[in-house]
Amino acid sequence: MSTKGIDFRDLSLKDALDLAILIEEEAMDRYGELADQMDLHRTPDAAAFFRFMAKNEAKHGATLVKRRNQSFENQPSAVTRAMIFDVEAPEYDEARAFMTPREAMASALRSEVKAHDFFARAVPLIRDATVKALFTELREEETLHQRLIQEQLEKLPPDPSLGAADFEDEPAPQ
Amino acid sequence: MNAPLPVHPESYSPKDFKSELKPIWCPGCGDFGVLQAVYRSLAAIGRAPHDIAFISGIGCSSRIPGYTTAYGFNTVHGRALPIAQGIKIANPDLLVLAAGGDGDGFSIGGGHLPHAIRRNTDLTYIVMDNQIYGLTKGQLSPTSPKGLPTVTSTEGSLEDPVNPLLYVLAYGAPFVAQGTPADMAGLAAMIEEGIRYPGFAFINVQSPCVTFGQPEWQVKQHRATMKPLASLGHDPKDRLRAMDLAQAYGKELYTGVLYRNPEPPATYEALVHQRQQVLGRDAPRRQDVLNAFIQK
Repeated sequence: MSTKGIDFRDLSLKDALDLAILIEEEAMDRYGELADQMDLHRTPDAAAFFRFMAKNEAKHGATLVKRRNQSFENQPSAVTRAMIFDVEAPEYDEARAFMTPREAMASALRSEVKAHDFFARAVPLIRDATVKALFTELREEETLHQRLIQEQLEKLPPDPSLGAADFEDEPAPQ
Repeated sequence: MNAPLPVHPESYSPKDFKSELKPIWCPGCGDFGVLQAVYRSLAAIGRAPHDIAFISGIGCSSRIPGYTTAYGFNTVHGRALPIAQGIKIANPDLLVLAAGGDGDGFSIGGGHLPHAIRRNTDLTYIVMDNQIYGLTKGQLSPTSPKGLPTVTSTEGSLEDPVNPLLYVLAYGAPFVAQGTPADMAGLAAMIEEGIRYPGFAFINVQSPCVTFGQPEWQVKQHRATMKPLASLGHDPKDRLRAMDLAQAYGKELYTGVLYRNPEPPATYEALVHQRQQVLGRDAPRRQDVLNAFIQK
C-alpha cells in the first residue's frame, strides 16, 4: 500500500473526496479481477464472495461520488489512479486457486485493516478541518467493515481438512 | 542523437491500456503485479496504445502483450528481442516493449540478449524471473538456484544459476534495474524510467510462481526482505558498484536502478538513420544489390 505525490497536509475537501472515490474504485476493480481469477480456476465460492465485495466497494464509491457532486460538481479532479497503490485493494498475492470462502474473507479483512491504517496515518497530518472529519469518518467506516466481515467469518463452518495442495489445478485452456 | 519520446502526461489512465482479455495466470502469480505496473507506467508516459508495440516470447509471462491494448506480438520461444529490434528499427517512433520469462530470455533466447545490448536499440526489456519453467509444469530454468529439486532435477539442481544482472551489466547494458511486485509503486516507476531511458533498458522483475516456485520465496518474503537501492545510497552512475551489488543476485533482493549510463550511447536505429542520410541518393539501388548477389 502506498501513495505517490499526495501531500495530506494541504489536501482540499474536493481532492480528499476524489482520493476516497479512487480508493473505492481501485478496490472494486481488484475484487472484480480476483473474482474472475477464481471463476477461471474453478473456485466459485471465493469468486462469489469477491463479487460481493466488488459490489460493496461500488456502493461506497457511488455514495462518495454523490457527496462530491453536491459540493464540487463539474470541478476537475487533481488526483489520479496513478497516485494510489493497493490502498484498500487486496494485493494480488492474496489470491490462490481453490482458496476457501474463509481464506477469501480473511484476505478482505486484511484489506479493510490496511485501509483503516491508511486513513489513521493520514488524519494527524491533515490541516483542513473538513478533510480531517471526512478521513476520520472513513477510518471509522473501515472499522465497521472489519466487524461485518469478522461476523461473517464466525458464521462460516470450519474449512475442510483438504487444502489447496491436495488439488491439482490443470492449466486453463490456451 | 537519440530523440526523447514525446510525453503527454495525464492524457491516459491505466485502464486505457487494459484489454478485454482476462489473464489466465494462476491466482497469486507475480505477473499480475507486473501487468498492473506496466499499465501504470504506460499511463504515466502518455503515449497512445497505437504508438506502442509489446513483443514477447513464449511462457506464462509472455502472454502479457495480449492483456494490453497496445500492438502485441506473442512470438516464438526466445525470439522476442530480435523481433522487437526489427520493429523498432523499422518504426523508430514506436515505443517498443519486450517481455518474457527467465527461460525465454536467458536460455532459449540467451544468444540474442548480448546483441540487443551491444546494438543499444531503444527498447525496454522486462524479464519476469520466476526461477522455474512454470507453463510446462516446473522444470529447472536458467535462474533456478543450485540444489533446487524440480521435475527435471529430482535430487536438486547441480548447476549454478545464470546471474541476469551481472550478465547484462557485463555486456554493457546502459540501464539495468530490478523490481518485485511486492513494491508496486517502485516497479511502476522503474518501468517508466526504463521506457524514458533513450536506449536499451533491462528490467529484471522477481516475479514468483505460486504453483511451481519455491514456497519460501514468494511476494510476502520479498516484501519482508527487499532492499531498495535508493535507501542504501547507491549511485546508479557507478557501474562497478552496480556489478558488485549484482553479485548478490539470489542472496539479496536489491530493488531499484542498479545502473543508468549518464551518457547514453547512440542507438542502433539512430545510426541506421544517420547512415541513410549520409548515403542518400548514392546508396545502391535494390536492383543493383540483387544483381551483385547473382553476379550479373
